[in-house]
Amino acid sequence: MYITGWTVALSALGAVPAMWVQERTFAWVWVLGVIALACLDAALAPKPGSLGLRRSAPRAVRLTESTAVELEVVNLGARRVSGAVRDAWQPSAGATGNRHRIRLAPGEATVCVTPMRPTRRGDRKADVVTVRLAGPLRLAGRQRSIDAPATLRVLPEFASRKHLPSRLARLREIDGQTAVQLKGAGSEFDSLREYVIGDDVRAIDWRASARRAEVLVKTYRPERDRRVMIVLDTARLSAARVADAPRLDASIEAALLLSALASKAGDRVQVSAFDRVERARAMGVSGPAMMPVLADALSTVEPALVEPDWPAVARLVQSRLSQRALVVLMTTLDASAVDGGMLDAVAAIAHTHAVVIASVDDPEVRALERGRDDMHELYAAGAAARGALEQDAVAARVRELGADVLTALPDDLAPAVADRYLDLKASGKL
Amino acid sequence: MSASHVDSTTHLDSARTRPTPASAGYSRADDSAGLVTRARKRPVVLIAAALFVALIVTLIWTSRPEDYTPLSTDNATPSGTRALAQVLRAQGVDVRQIATMADARIESPGTTTLAIAGTEPLAEYQIDALFEYPGDIVVIDPSQSVVDRIAPALSVEPSLDAAPTAADCEDPDAVAAERVRVADEGLAGDAGEDGVLCFPNDYGSHAYAVVDDGDRRVTLIASWPLVTNEHLAEDGNAALALRALGRHESVAWYVGDLFDPSTLTWSAGDDGDGDGDGDGGAGADGAVPPSEIEANPDFLPPGTGSAIYLLALTALVAAWWRARRFGPLVREPLPVVVRASEATRGRARLYRRSRASGRATAALRATAAARMARRLGVPRAAGRTGLVPAVARAAGRDATDVERILYGAPPTDDLTMMSIIHELDTLESEVHRP
Repeated sequence: MYITGWTVALSALGAVPAMWVQERTFAWVWVLGVIALACLDAALAPKPGSLGLRRSAPRAVRLTESTAVELEVVNLGARRVSGAVRDAWQPSAGATGNRHRIRLAPGEATVCVTPMRPTRRGDRKADVVTVRLAGPLRLAGRQRSIDAPATLRVLPEFASRKHLPSRLARLREIDGQTAVQLKGAGSEFDSLREYVIGDDVRAIDWRASARRAEVLVKTYRPERDRRVMIVLDTARLSAARVADAPRLDASIEAALLLSALASKAGDRVQVSAFDRVERARAMGVSGPAMMPVLADALSTVEPALVEPDWPAVARLVQSRLSQRALVVLMTTLDASAVDGGMLDAVAAIAHTHAVVIASVDDPEVRALERGRDDMHELYAAGAAARGALEQDAVAARVRELGADVLTALPDDLAPAVADRYLDLKASGKL
Repeated sequence: MSASHVDSTTHLDSARTRPTPASAGYSRADDSAGLVTRARKRPVVLIAAALFVALIVTLIWTSRPEDYTPLSTDNATPSGTRALAQVLRAQGVDVRQIATMADARIESPGTTTLAIAGTEPLAEYQIDALFEYPGDIVVIDPSQSVVDRIAPALSVEPSLDAAPTAADCEDPDAVAAERVRVADEGLAGDAGEDGVLCFPNDYGSHAYAVVDDGDRRVTLIASWPLVTNEHLAEDGNAALALRALGRHESVAWYVGDLFDPSTLTWSAGDDGDGDGDGDGGAGADGAVPPSEIEANPDFLPPGTGSAIYLLALTALVAAWWRARRFGPLVREPLPVVVRASEATRGRARLYRRSRASGRATAALRATAAARMARRLGVPRAAGRTGLVPAVARAAGRDATDVERILYGAPPTDDLTMMSIIHELDTLESEVHRP
């Protein structure tokens, strides 16, 4: 049962006769009478069970984009109903204006549309639908909450896709220029074209030039159908917040950009999220189908507060890859990684594959290192410098093992990883 | 049937009606889950709740506030007059205590004695209004301003006398009481032509005076302790008090209250309705009773109080209206928020607490050296011997100076640490590629 503002207004209206009667008993009788009237009205209201509800939500939406969910309400009873419904969702689903008036004749149906703008990645769940059916006097009514499960999957934002066009342009550049840079080693022959000033003279195909009147050069293109495996570390260090988002989110952005770029370059990408067990994976698809599958798989990945199992990561990579590939580890370089067995795992993987370790830097720690205002800040600067030294030491050991290390601020990580991939591609090391 | 999709930009008003509902696949409310149905299924809970409410109501109904006001008829302590009121009631006199003068609303002044206990807090206009009352008045503990109004030659004197004195007057009530003490206060002087003074002590103070003021009788009990619970049983106190107050079938008892600005109210009644006292002209004087607005010298119109009372009750209804949620709150499973820099900050606090200035400075020196080496292209393997000359050359400084700044003795206190870091920053800013 609920009461409306009309009940309150009616109760307040009693102040006028109360001025004349000047009795407290009158005030009590009036207010209790109004409440009794409201209770009677609620008893006369139609039963909530006479409504049928059906929710429908779009399958997925990208973070920061707007969408709308629908709630179909049908009057299955014999009486005309009037009231309101509330289409409740988790707060992070960003459902604004989720209260709808309904006025339905028997057998009539209506669709209530609730606009949504999710604020968090992952599966956003719908809560109960609350129905209010007003009584004939509009003083009160019946209220009931009804379960109607629904889920809206919120995909990662992929804000780094703004870097994609420039990287694709560079990819095409590499396609044409490999002859100049690669000296043919390990590259596929692409085509012959006319010599232009600046081309490497060693790329001139004398035999073809002899056949025609002009000088021709051989062009090569980078190999296609290479394997790229991205491993996202979802263990405890990925939960730490860097600039209001977990480290993991920056890793996901980088993974998405690299996957988009690599699949455009004709390589086969597979992604795995791992801490002690595999949390998500996307593999076995290529081409345009790759990105939706990947976004879907990564949308529900959340950091777990556990220590990563590095030997298992090494085994996972070895079992998934049969030929030489690029393995990108999205993790955090930290002194504790040495004890955790990360170096052994990197050594094992780097034995057969090219390894890039991408780590998110914290702008706050960098700011701490520059603080000079008082003693407190000087000690903070010392602590930050110590942390940087330790991280450098770990990075140096990783490099000794033959792996590549990349640290960048959260927003710069995705383009940095993409650039590193293009560098490797251009130099034919892939 | 196909679900027609609605443009996502429109909302709320875009709820559109459709003619034919599908029959199956809808979630529906379980009507047996309602409040009434649940209560009917568990009558024990309902009965327990009803009993609880009844208990609370009974407790509120029966509880009366403890009254410690002196001379109040509800006060059972030694300073109260509950004993007197109870004896009067047992004798068939209706004793009614009024909280404010405006509340009196005495219906038949002819048959009602007005008892005023303590007149010190009364204002002049209240005393004026008081003496317009046509019926009998008994004033207990009168103040000088009240005495002046009825017998100007009398004065109120403090009394320290402890011995009972005889009535020594004609008044039948006083004669019946025989002896009382003049305690606390007494009346001295002349009661006038129509007045009788009784119970004089050795110093000329009287405990009691009666003045026949036209048709009515004004009784002054200056020795007020004789009506209290403590002293009522002593000497002739009870006889005097009961006779003075029990002349009519009802008594309106008022205790002087500083916070009561109102004046007395009574209805004129029919002339001659009383038993002989309330006849003739005095009744006609009070024929126009003061209205409530006259009795309450207040700026608000009458009935404001009851209207505000009703609005206060309405506020409770409004609270119910607003407090009832449109559905439950929805839980959001939030992740743990740990800033990545927390570890660094924690380490900084540890350094500071243990005054590890040497350690902190060493770290800053090492990172500065690494940055300068990178800028100057000095390989990591070159170490100290390779870096120092290169930095000295780039900064245009003496090598020993550079050596001291980069690899000097670790600081032992905060001040040295500050100066070393300052020198380090200066050196680094001077280094540029040669």
